[in-house]
Amino acid sequence: MKTIIYTCPYVPAEWIAAHGLRPSRIILSAVSSAGSITRAEGVCPYVRAFIDEATTEKRACGVVMTTVCDQMRRAFDILVRKCNLPVFLMNVPNTWQSVAAQKLYLDELKRLGRFLIQLAGKSFSQDKLSQVMLEYDTVRACILAARGHLTSRQYAEVIAAFGRDGPGTRPDNAEGARPPIAGVPLAIVGGPLMKQSFDIFDIVEQSGGRIVLDATETGERGMCAPFDRRRFRDDPLMELANAYFGGIQDASRRPNNELYKWLDHELVSRGVRGIIFHRYLWCDMWHAELWRLKDWVDLPVLDIDIGGDNETYQHRTPNRIRAFLEMLQ
Amino acid sequence: MSDMPRQITLEEWDQRYEQLQKAGLHQPSYGGPLSRHVGDGDKRLLKLRYDNSAAALRLWNFLLTEEDRLHEARNKGKRLVGTMKDLGTVPVMAYSFDNLAAFYPDGAWWIPCMMELDAGLLEIADSLGIDESFCPVRAMLGAFVTGAHFPIPELLTCSVGATCDDFSAIAQRLNGLGYPILWWEVPHRRSGEPGETTVKLPGGFSAPKCQVEFVKSELERLKTALEELAGQHLDEEKLSAGIKKANQVRTYLAEIRQLAFTAELCPMPALEMLIAEMLAIHFCSDQDETIEVLRELLGEIKTRVQAGKGVLGADAARIFWVNPVADLQVMNLLEDCGGRICGTEYLFSHALDTIPEDLRPVEALAQMVLADPMVGSSADRAERICADVRRFGAEAVLISRIPGASHCALEGEVISEIVQTELDIPVLEIEVPPVTDSMRPTLRTRAEALVETIKARRKR
Repeated sequence: MKTIIYTCPYVPAEWIAAHGLRPSRIILSAVSSAGSITRAEGVCPYVRAFIDEATTEKRACGVVMTTVCDQMRRAFDILVRKCNLPVFLMNVPNTWQSVAAQKLYLDELKRLGRFLIQLAGKSFSQDKLSQVMLEYDTVRACILAARGHLTSRQYAEVIAAFGRDGPGTRPDNAEGARPPIAGVPLAIVGGPLMKQSFDIFDIVEQSGGRIVLDATETGERGMCAPFDRRRFRDDPLMELANAYFGGIQDASRRPNNELYKWLDHELVSRGVRGIIFHRYLWCDMWHAELWRLKDWVDLPVLDIDIGGDNETYQHRTPNRIRAFLEMLQ
Repeated sequence: MSDMPRQITLEEWDQRYEQLQKAGLHQPSYGGPLSRHVGDGDKRLLKLRYDNSAAALRLWNFLLTEEDRLHEARNKGKRLVGTMKDLGTVPVMAYSFDNLAAFYPDGAWWIPCMMELDAGLLEIADSLGIDESFCPVRAMLGAFVTGAHFPIPELLTCSVGATCDDFSAIAQRLNGLGYPILWWEVPHRRSGEPGETTVKLPGGFSAPKCQVEFVKSELERLKTALEELAGQHLDEEKLSAGIKKANQVRTYLAEIRQLAFTAELCPMPALEMLIAEMLAIHFCSDQDETIEVLRELLGEIKTRVQAGKGVLGADAARIFWVNPVADLQVMNLLEDCGGRICGTEYLFSHALDTIPEDLRPVEALAQMVLADPMVGSSADRAERICADVRRFGAEAVLISRIPGASHCALEGEVISEIVQTELDIPVLEIEVPPVTDSMRPTLRTRAEALVETIKARRKR
């Protein structure tokens, strides 16, 4: 089956799968140099890694990007010139309250559908979409329910694998599943994680903590809301749009107060005692939220800024996390 | 002192001012010697070089008295609108009301330059978590917190969507500090797809009709907010009259640019040209006076061109400049190195294009929003740059990077590639922070290298 790669949580996997294509929400690997672009200066390491991945990707038949962040929007300009694959840029509005913004998102899904039909060579059916949505929704619920039975890293990896491989990934398939350990409950908040950043879950556990809330884009925060099963039988695409556009809270939203409402609920319900704030150098959207979060939350916040080089992971990040947890214990 | 056009220092301007006064200089209410603004803390003025015309004096005085004008407008009962991340559309609507004044809070990005970092605005931004990894427009946060550089407006609007992340993030931080913002969405301009109706936009780009319709609905939302603020209805007739007035500004600027960029001898220095162009965005808080300031500037330029007089040598290297500079002194530097500006794309070329007057006014403004070069791809922007390079006969393109700005990280590569492929002319990138003093030798070396390259290519 032909594969479509993407990273943005506002791209519904179900929509791609319903067109007979394999959606793969990839987890990127950090690139230490400029990679496929002329110069790395000022470029977010995540965007850099995405450009590198898309230009070297061999298995995929298409790439889907969104306008959620400006550097990704600009990266599209690079990819249409350098990438051998067809690339689609989906407009995801930053505003969300108006009917017009919601309709824009829905219209963009339809436009994405036309791109997918070209790649798949065939149209899709409502029944197929409903069936795929049901399948994804069931596995998503299953993953969320498994949180208490997996270590935080396993949980994060199951979510990542679900995005990458689809509903074939179930939490009971997680390799060497072991019960979570006790430890100081922490949240990790921020944009998407790259492969190397998954070590943070282990570092936290080794230092006496436990991530009980993965509020990164690649974690729970980047999962859409559960579908209303009555509604999706009548108009599955509308329900899909509601669950994604209305259900995923992000720093890029204007205003983004719903993100804080979501965080407030999750931090309290999970008894979080500290927050690891994960951001990339040159990612303005998340960087600007750091101090606002600090002002807003009555919890200690540890800023982990990632420059994209491995040295950060190997030395500075573990030391900072250990010190943070020593303070909390 | 001679009346020959030339660039002079602030000190020389004092003498020149006396000479002009004796000769019967007529000045508007905000007139006076330029050096008085140094007393307001604008220390950078001491290091700049200025055109010596009365028209340039008026332009500078108009620019440097904007804050007073805003306070005066409020005292006269006008309501203020801060139009953030809006390069030339909402102000056209706002100035169609007789009791609103719009200004551009993002303009605070020049305060650190003008006050040589003494205002402490960047430090305030730092203390709010908006550090130097963001664009210098972060100074705006400090300006809001201190309330010392512009009055806090009754209504703040901000366009988001296809805008830079820096500004969007900074505006969200401002919103988080308790400043209500009316956010409005601008979608990324894309090409029409098979079966879609497309609209040819002013300036040459095109967009699907559905995007124009979407922006129209956003502008209607803004119009309603402005009407509530003004307590007046904005009918099509009033808005059309506002558009006509904005077009007067744009017509003058088009003529000024055409003459200044194509004359054999450069009739007006780069710095004054930059400031004149900036007036198109929000009319420096007085639309009527903007028209008068530009009329006088155009008159001066015409006189000089007709007389074959200029401020730079005839062999100056003709350079097209991309992006505005955070440090105004760099415009002087380019001329010191033997260059002259022949074409610009300061992020708002669309604000210089004529707004269609044969369409319904909101439709016309929606088209202008989508004609913004920053709303679409860098490739589109590069194409417009190429067209203007040809039009103005520039021999090279200089891309001035804005430190930390999200668009600058990747656009340079695309623009350079397209310009070099299509035009086979040199392209140079430099980065310009708010105060360039410490890196002046590096910038000078790079600018000189570009000028030398251009001159060497003439001999080929």
